[in-house]
Amino acid sequence: MVDLNFLSGVYVLLTYFAGAIFIIGVLIRIIVYANTPMPVKIPLTPAPLTKAGSVGRVASEVLLFKSLFRANKPTWVAGYIFHVSFILLILLHFARHFVYHHPLPQWYPVFVDAGIFFGILMFLSLFYLLLRRMIVDRVRIISLFSDYLILIILMMIAIAGLSMNFLISAHALTKIDNRLDPFINGIATFHPINIPANPYFLVHYSLILLLVIYIPFSKVMHFVGIFFSPTRYMTDNPEEERYYKPDAEDLSL
Amino acid sequence: MAKTKTAYKVPVLTGEIKVPKVVPGASAYEKMYHGENDDMTALGFPASLEDGWETKAVGIFKQLLTHNKALKDYMDICVRCGACTDKCQFFLGTGDSNNMPVGRAELMRKVYRYYFTPAGGLFKSLADAEPFSERMIKKWFTYYYQCSECRRCSYYCPYGIDTAVITMAARDIMDGIGLGQKYSTQIINKVFKIGNNLGIPPAALRNTLDDLEEEMKDATGKDVKIPMDEEGAEVLLVPPSADFFAMPHMESLAGYAKVFYKAGISWTVSSYASEAANFGMFIGNYKNTKEINKRVWDEARRLKVKRVIVGECGHAWRALYNYSNTMNGPFDFLDNKYRQPAHICDFTLGLIKDGVIKMDPSANDDKIVTYHDSCNVARASRIGEMPGGQFTVPRELIKACANHFFELRDGANRAQTYCCGGGGGILTDEVMNVRIAGSMPKMQVIKEVMDNNGVNFLALICAICKTQFTKMYPLYGFDAEMVGGVHQLVSSAIVL
Repeated sequence: MVDLNFLSGVYVLLTYFAGAIFIIGVLIRIIVYANTPMPVKIPLTPAPLTKAGSVGRVASEVLLFKSLFRANKPTWVAGYIFHVSFILLILLHFARHFVYHHPLPQWYPVFVDAGIFFGILMFLSLFYLLLRRMIVDRVRIISLFSDYLILIILMMIAIAGLSMNFLISAHALTKIDNRLDPFINGIATFHPINIPANPYFLVHYSLILLLVIYIPFSKVMHFVGIFFSPTRYMTDNPEEERYYKPDAEDLSL
Repeated sequence: MAKTKTAYKVPVLTGEIKVPKVVPGASAYEKMYHGENDDMTALGFPASLEDGWETKAVGIFKQLLTHNKALKDYMDICVRCGACTDKCQFFLGTGDSNNMPVGRAELMRKVYRYYFTPAGGLFKSLADAEPFSERMIKKWFTYYYQCSECRRCSYYCPYGIDTAVITMAARDIMDGIGLGQKYSTQIINKVFKIGNNLGIPPAALRNTLDDLEEEMKDATGKDVKIPMDEEGAEVLLVPPSADFFAMPHMESLAGYAKVFYKAGISWTVSSYASEAANFGMFIGNYKNTKEINKRVWDEARRLKVKRVIVGECGHAWRALYNYSNTMNGPFDFLDNKYRQPAHICDFTLGLIKDGVIKMDPSANDDKIVTYHDSCNVARASRIGEMPGGQFTVPRELIKACANHFFELRDGANRAQTYCCGGGGGILTDEVMNVRIAGSMPKMQVIKEVMDNNGVNFLALICAICKTQFTKMYPLYGFDAEMVGGVHQLVSSAIVL
């Protein structure tokens, strides 16, 4: 850590802190869920009779939100658009690392436009979900502070990200672009260098750090929990294969 | 009876299910009676609520969280997306937000966040965290006994969050601090003391079976027997005890007896295991569920039978199908040519398909039949070999026994079925208004087929559904005789 200015020092430390919290938080959660026994079989039937079938069932929930589709179509549309655009944006940000080299490939503007497109989609779907929370009385009454908080953090991330494409000059953006890769490389190789000091970028980056730190303590952990939901992953074969968990200690059903 | 009939709020049936306006606390006035001291202690619980219960409750809660994956997972991962909010029959009937599955679960999650999450401890109100308090435990006692553990919400939840798991855990925690429900604890104590939910002693049971045999002799001219405690019989039949005493349940018992008679298969009921129902499941207590379940397996061993067949009872089938092998299995002492245990509908349909018994469906020509999928059969177990057999087997059997059959509306049928409003240990008169409200969605779709297709018979394979609908039908202005078992149809149609 040589030659870092104060601002960069703070951000580098925060980045490592956020990364550690996220990785440890997610790992703890996986370990806790994986090691907590389930005393009895509770698949929601009709359920698959084989392990492969159960994997397919969980996959249909994770990839297609099958149950939500059955429950509420508008929420499914907005929820699905949000999740897909969010995942794609994360992937595009990583991909950028391999794409952004001089000379820039001819299709680079398309790559950037895709990012802008999904950023807007993500914002709009979040906005719909926020409105729905505030307007539909059944959903308003169950909404907690944390439900609004996560929507607002995500919307602010989207706005800050998009603002770099719309509110600052092309020159300033190129400057961020050129300095971002070395900064990320520095973080990844534990030889950190100074962070691009553009305020728009810093807001975007700070909010993402906030999100990453918050995730292990929030309902966002459903991305881990969905794989450990006994009603969905369990196989309907109580007679064929004895299911017995002595470490569940016969405490409750 | 807790209230007179005029005090009941019976909805008007229009054939439509409307989502009501949300009114928090709308059904808070309906409460269960507290468990009686004898019953509570007999089940291994403290007799009544004692000082310091909060600490004790936290202790039990923590144990459950570390020994029940579903509970731990479902406390954490709800995103309050609202998918379940209009799915529960008790919310649709009462409009109470605490009866929305997520509302019900949040009563427990508030406490969970307070004691078991960092945010709950640090920023109590921002994290919507609340400690155990007099007020909170009262809410628990009210709303965790306005849930029938039917799992309709779990079908629609993107994560499969199962309110039945949460309700069972809440009831287990409450029982553990001495806050029990009279109805379920009394019934479990009767099972332990006498052998069945209704508390029928062996001699009285034999008497009623003799009467039923006589009735069948008069009606058919055949010597249809209902053997009891016969060692060495091929089949041990375990019906819900309501089949011995209640109407229309007894008609189904006659149906089982005629099937065994005609097929020439020796069988017996047991005075010790004279109950398929397992209320230990309703209160979410593993130990009691296992004990009740064990009675069936002990008796199967003692009577040296080759097969165990379960009568028309929804949650009993879940408990025996799903839990037997885990709790008291394996079934290596039974004949492994057959599914063990088997459902009576599977058994009867098999005999019809093999040509062993014959049905004359014209015998039921006075009936236009529809079928209600009982929740614990539909969403928590299976009948036969194929997934979804719990839907096809009873329907095939009905169609073999009756010429006129109409399905209920999609969305209120099969895996999406609404509960009758009386399941999960709430089939008791002190919460009659909740039962009526909970029955509303199903009554609406039944009303629809009554109007459109002239349906005049509701076929069921659950003792609780039978009791509940027999009670609901007159309140909604229908004849209670329009409710009956699938084996009631078998009983009329079988060619002896």
